[in-house]
Amino acid sequence: MRVLLVEDYQPLARALTQGLREAGYAVDATGDGRQGLALAEASAYDALVLDVMVPEVDGLAILARVRAAGSSAAVVIITARDQLPDRIAGLDLGADDYLVKPFALDELLARLRAVIRRRYQATTNMVTLGDLVIDSAARAVKRAGKPVPLSAREFALLEYLALRRGQIVTRTEIWEHVYDFAAEPSSNVVDVYVGYLRRKLGDGEGTRRLIRTHRGLGYSLDVEAVG
Amino acid sequence: MSRSLRVRMTVSLLAVLVLALGTLSVVVHQVVWGALVKQLDAQLADDASAVAGMAEDEGATVEFEYESLPDFERAQRPAYFQAWLDDGQVLARSPSLQGHDLPRPAPHGSRTEFSALTLPDGRPGRAAGLRQPLRIEEAGPGTARPSGRYVTVAVAQGTETVRASLGAVRRWLALWVGITMVAAALAVVVSVSRGLRATRDVAARVAQIDAARPGPFLATATARLPDELAPLVGKVNELLGRIEQSFARERRFTADVSHELRTPLAALRTMIEVVLRRTREPHEYAAAIAEMGDVVGQMQGLCENLLALARLDAGAVPVRAQPVALRPLVDDCWRVFQSQAGERGLTFANQLDPGATLTTDRDHLRIIVSNLLSNAASYTAAGGSIVVRASATSLLQVDDSGPGIPADVLPHVFERFVRVDAARSAGVHCGIGLALVRGLGDILGLAISAENTTEGGVSFQVRAAGGPAA
Repeated sequence: MRVLLVEDYQPLARALTQGLREAGYAVDATGDGRQGLALAEASAYDALVLDVMVPEVDGLAILARVRAAGSSAAVVIITARDQLPDRIAGLDLGADDYLVKPFALDELLARLRAVIRRRYQATTNMVTLGDLVIDSAARAVKRAGKPVPLSAREFALLEYLALRRGQIVTRTEIWEHVYDFAAEPSSNVVDVYVGYLRRKLGDGEGTRRLIRTHRGLGYSLDVEAVG
Repeated sequence: MSRSLRVRMTVSLLAVLVLALGTLSVVVHQVVWGALVKQLDAQLADDASAVAGMAEDEGATVEFEYESLPDFERAQRPAYFQAWLDDGQVLARSPSLQGHDLPRPAPHGSRTEFSALTLPDGRPGRAAGLRQPLRIEEAGPGTARPSGRYVTVAVAQGTETVRASLGAVRRWLALWVGITMVAAALAVVVSVSRGLRATRDVAARVAQIDAARPGPFLATATARLPDELAPLVGKVNELLGRIEQSFARERRFTADVSHELRTPLAALRTMIEVVLRRTREPHEYAAAIAEMGDVVGQMQGLCENLLALARLDAGAVPVRAQPVALRPLVDDCWRVFQSQAGERGLTFANQLDPGATLTTDRDHLRIIVSNLLSNAASYTAAGGSIVVRASATSLLQVDDSGPGIPADVLPHVFERFVRVDAARSAGVHCGIGLALVRGLGDILGLAISAENTTEGGVSFQVRAAGGPAA
């Protein structure tokens, strides 16, 4: 899942970026509202984490512009202002959630999972596909009851495919939702990671393929193929 | 003088009324007295003329033919007359005189003269004196001609009827004056009380105002509010407005302080939680702890500012003057902002003379310099420069590369709670830093000013203001 963080207080922005990345998110961070708005308009973020008081264009203005442009990205407002009118203003503008600083990182992560889940019309963090169980909260994957250790990026890739199960997901979409600008772009990085993931899941080794390749189109995690 | 408005107004109105009604009463009294006396005199003159007509010159003798007049005969309060010939011989006396004499009048010419006198029975009275030629009876009734001899007549009568009438007038006047005064006093008391009731209403409404939230304001257009109170109510409303503004500023200030404290606190919490999520390399811990140290330093700066501001407000700021080396102080203060400025690509130069010293309070000067540097570090556009130097006119100045401060904000930057742009604060700024700088500067005798430079930057200058630090 790819997240845009707009927070101008650098120590907090750095810590959040690290915390989100370590939780498996692809994170782009900026401390400048104008740049934040440009990024939000340019890329398909799964979620925006916006501080209200940032220079140039404040968080609520970014939210308003992004919503006006028709974006359905999940938005979590983080702010030190805890007055009721501030919260109402944020939610009315289309924010999905609101966190008052200081907050627990675990709470931010839980709320992010919840709002992203809602974006993909999922109701729980558990996705079960035949003998494959994906737990987004615990970031754990089991196949036939056995834990499958995945790297953060592999998990992110599987999670994204699972949220869009049954659909063909293009390489560009995978790139946009699993990688941030800090990642080195390369032509076949997605294919390489799909390969890693298949190997770790034991996909196709005596079982039917879970992740199907659609030549020229992309990949899909197929419900029918499972079991 | 009584402090009660009601008593004061009543007393002064009554004093004026006493003067006006008293004068009027005296005039009325005199006019009535004059009219009554004139009436009495006319009667006396008639009587005198009638008595004089009773005397007749018959050549050898003068005959007095008394025709009975009841006024001169009654036992109670009779009238009197007496007639003389020119040689002093008493021609006639009224029966009421009973041998007593009336004073003989000496009227000039033929005019009837009037005078006051005491009657033989001791009553105060009034007399008319008349001297006229005797009449000679001719043949034929009703015709007569004057003779060459004269008769002098005095007629006197008590003035008790006049006095009684005058007494009645006096009593009516007294009653009228009394009623008028009482009515006026009542009117004053009632109207003043009514007027004052409006002040009590205003007082009651003022008492209902919540000290923490002054408003709604007093209505100035209520029917019962006298015009005289409108300015007072207007001023009270103005005061409430100012109080509300200052409360709004305080509330914003509290919210800002809370914001500025929560932001670094949030960073600390997140930093700690991220670090603790997994086992890390020692250098990662070291870097994280160093960064937490910076955040703690910023929070400490904010707390010191708040504390200094509170002390400044309480007037409890001791000054311990000692020589302070400026250059090391500036370097020391800058350390806190170094990493923040580095991230934003700001360059810093301390161009102060290594030997420059200022005799002043080190702690207060540190707060001043820290706030000026913090301000520059936060507001200078990324990639800009900050220079600390001394000049011909300043002991110390902090110049940055801008952007400049908008002209409408520049005169107010040292006011409390004023911020150039709420969204521009990248660090710890809630509109108290520069207010504190100015306040401490005043105590140290330092004049601190801000100006936009011709190069588009901002220059904060510290000068001696002729105080202890000069």
